[in-house]
Amino acid sequence: MNDNILEIDKLNVRFSTFDGMFSAVNNVSLTLGTNESIGIIGESGCGKSTLSFSIMRYLASNASVDGAIRYKGENLLEKSEQEMETYRGDRIAMVFQNPYSSLNPALTIGFQLDEVSMHHQKLSKKEARKATIEALTMMNLGDPKGIARRYPHQVSGGIQQRICIAMALLCRPDLLILDEPTTALDVTTEAVILDSIKDLKDQLKMSLMYISHDMGVINKVAEHVVVMYSGEIVERGPKEEIFNNPTHPYTRALINCMPRGGVVKEKTKLNTIPGYVKRRGSQEGGCPFVERCDRRNDTCESEYGTRKVGDRHFAACDRAYATDIPDTLSQKLVPKVQKKAQIDLNTADLLKIEELHKVYGSRRKVYAVNGIDFSVKPGSVIGIVGESGCGKSTTGHMISGLYKPTKGRILFNDLDISLAWNKRDKETLKNIQLIFQNPGRSLNPSHTVEQIIGRAMKKLADITDAKERRDRIIEILKKVDLGTDYLEKKPRQLSGGEQQRVAIARALSITPNLIVCDEPTSALDVSVQASVLNLLNDLQVETSAAYMFISHDLNVINYLSDYIMVMYAGKIAEYGERDEVMQPPFHPYTEALLSAVPEVDPTKQKDPIELQGQLPDPAKKPKGCPFAGRCHRQVGEICEKEYPPMVRISDTHYYYCHIKPTA
Amino acid sequence: MKYILYQLKKNPLAIVGIAIIVFWLIMAFFGPSMLSFSYTEMDSEYQMAAPGVNGHLIGTDSLGRDLLARIVYGSRSILTVALMTSIFSTFVGVILGFSAGYFGGKVDAFFLRSMDILMAIPPLVLSMVVLGILGNSNIASLTIIVSIAFVPATARVSRGVLLTEKSQEYVSAARIRGENHLYIMFVEILPNTTGPIIVEATARFAYSIMMVASLGFLGVGMQPPTPDWGMMVIENKPIIAQAPWAVLFPALAIASLVIAISIFSDFVSKVLIHER
Repeated sequence: MNDNILEIDKLNVRFSTFDGMFSAVNNVSLTLGTNESIGIIGESGCGKSTLSFSIMRYLASNASVDGAIRYKGENLLEKSEQEMETYRGDRIAMVFQNPYSSLNPALTIGFQLDEVSMHHQKLSKKEARKATIEALTMMNLGDPKGIARRYPHQVSGGIQQRICIAMALLCRPDLLILDEPTTALDVTTEAVILDSIKDLKDQLKMSLMYISHDMGVINKVAEHVVVMYSGEIVERGPKEEIFNNPTHPYTRALINCMPRGGVVKEKTKLNTIPGYVKRRGSQEGGCPFVERCDRRNDTCESEYGTRKVGDRHFAACDRAYATDIPDTLSQKLVPKVQKKAQIDLNTADLLKIEELHKVYGSRRKVYAVNGIDFSVKPGSVIGIVGESGCGKSTTGHMISGLYKPTKGRILFNDLDISLAWNKRDKETLKNIQLIFQNPGRSLNPSHTVEQIIGRAMKKLADITDAKERRDRIIEILKKVDLGTDYLEKKPRQLSGGEQQRVAIARALSITPNLIVCDEPTSALDVSVQASVLNLLNDLQVETSAAYMFISHDLNVINYLSDYIMVMYAGKIAEYGERDEVMQPPFHPYTEALLSAVPEVDPTKQKDPIELQGQLPDPAKKPKGCPFAGRCHRQVGEICEKEYPPMVRISDTHYYYCHIKPTA
Repeated sequence: MKYILYQLKKNPLAIVGIAIIVFWLIMAFFGPSMLSFSYTEMDSEYQMAAPGVNGHLIGTDSLGRDLLARIVYGSRSILTVALMTSIFSTFVGVILGFSAGYFGGKVDAFFLRSMDILMAIPPLVLSMVVLGILGNSNIASLTIIVSIAFVPATARVSRGVLLTEKSQEYVSAARIRGENHLYIMFVEILPNTTGPIIVEATARFAYSIMMVASLGFLGVGMQPPTPDWGMMVIENKPIIAQAPWAVLFPALAIASLVIAISIFSDFVSKVLIHER
């Protein structure tokens, strides 16, 4: 039985750096059969990408590799650089995470694709172009001839990534490695790409290696799943086995800490994994997960090794985990009744937005926000969701004062604050705080945690005494689960999750009434995301500050929000209480968004509504319904011509569409 | 600190560079007290003496002055001017470049155009003209004029690093905290740009040595009899056939110092990248 296309045998990859040797891939063995697909999952720093790079022999010069990588029986590690040429791109192809950086911006798309087949298959220019058009057609790209003539910046990110995949397919490779190809893309685009990858795999008889940190995505494309942690495979097996019967504590934790569809804050607290992925030295033995494992015992260090759990299912936990602990999947979410901040509907609105517009640029205008009205009650959480470019961040930034609105009013406690930061009074600046997406960039890398939090207190809360400030900082750090030893640390000494905690502490330290959270968990790993979401929720209950939570992740929004606002192309598509919006969705766009979210449960495979086309050009003022071009429920010409009317379902719930609800 | 040693091990060239710089610093500080000749003393019997003759370690020039003494004294003036220049031009450059980049718009446009005008005149020509008009060059006037010639370059570099930092979210965070412009520029942004600015300053240090030596060579440097490396090259040029060492050693002095500082500058940038 040697129909395996790829066999990796005891692969070790070590990097020698200033801090000493560290092991990125440790004793990894796996096999991949012809026309099989394998999904590799793990948090950042788990060695997934290093593994894929070592197959392509794309490693940096300070890496040392041993073991064997056999491609159809031939050890790639023994090939010369010249021999590798005949594998890379030709027989093994790879698609990278970021399509903007994998395409050359100075050459036309057609030229870049032609090059591949001219180099590997020695085709003439004309034949190469034919192959290019064919590959582009395979990826369901409309007007492939037109696309071939364009430059990468003239097409959207989703199309760029499909072009990258088409490029990888040009030579009909036997093995296609995809390294987080959809991570940077919107869910709706992701759904389309995942579908075409699945179809093409069978059509071209390829084997797939799909790397992702998202369980839902892996669930969609892979037949086999490999879970990696700290450079080692901790569990591998068929998808159903892994999802229904995860045996390694890390796999369980990873599945459990994702906020899934239907999980809401009042009912459950998200599961978290304490700690973070540590770099391993080359000499360390034992279970890599031991420090973070809640089930560790004495044998974890000594009796470590892969064990067979079921047919083709292996896990690296010594105590056949599933049997000795009565923790089955049905109970995997620890139910914990959460208190919920009471929202008094009779109080005046904390924030009221009236006809808010934002237009960027003067010569080439970009209409980012095109007239939205909504209000926020004190102590409530409003979640704003939408694809990138829908104006959700711009809205948040206008409210927090980073930009001045072009038109419209922002009323905060009945005070008009539609001004930029430099014209706002101190009280307003104090009362509205913003938490940014990337904590590494929102905390000044040269300042210590004490300076970062203390400055806000000194400036806005008038606490001038350094001693008093320090006491308050220690207190607030405790609230975000950080100790006193963090006072003197600088942001780069902290992990991503710790950085975001400091950012949250900074925002909370001056007791604001409204916190605008702009995708605060998008840059974090799922386990860290869970703990940050828990923290945000606890603090919201405690301080009863209102949150405006902006995210592209519908599951996160669903978990945390009381109200949900769906935005599309600078307009509100649907607004209402969480349950009103989520079940069932009324606006076709909400429906499409919901259906595109990858499901973690393999039994609940759903068919996403594929949104074709692109977002409307933000440089033009849309006339009809902005969603008309992509809508799967278009009712007719009226959609293109007339802006849809507001349809009210209840006092709190409304949406904009020409389709009336069916009783 | 540990990282500096690690980088030193990886770049033995940097050790050579640092050794040369240290050598010249020692020469400038303690050299004169170790010499047996003064730099003006003319040994009339040993004009154009070969190295080693009558205690002249590296020979004498056409007037019989000890070359070693002149080079050692010359290192004082050139190092002082170069050091002052790099500090002064960096200081002014950072203030100008930061204000221009931070405020943007018209301020920036005005800054860029005026820098373009300054840069359109080659620094050497600019310095020559001004020094020619002033007539009497000394350490102060050399420093000021070379600094002015270098400000456009340092200002542009500072503006560039500010622009990349300005778009960072910590700057936005400071803004919505109501911080004033000076605080944002110098307390928030400046500490994060020290790396490139220090590297630029050390590079300017090497350039100013070249510049001061060139000015000396062109006859507008330090006034005789104060020794000046560039001037020594030109004044001994007529005797290059009879006493090649009289040109060779000052030229070597200039070259070694400039190259050593360039190597050092590369090394500093490597260390500072790690610091970030």
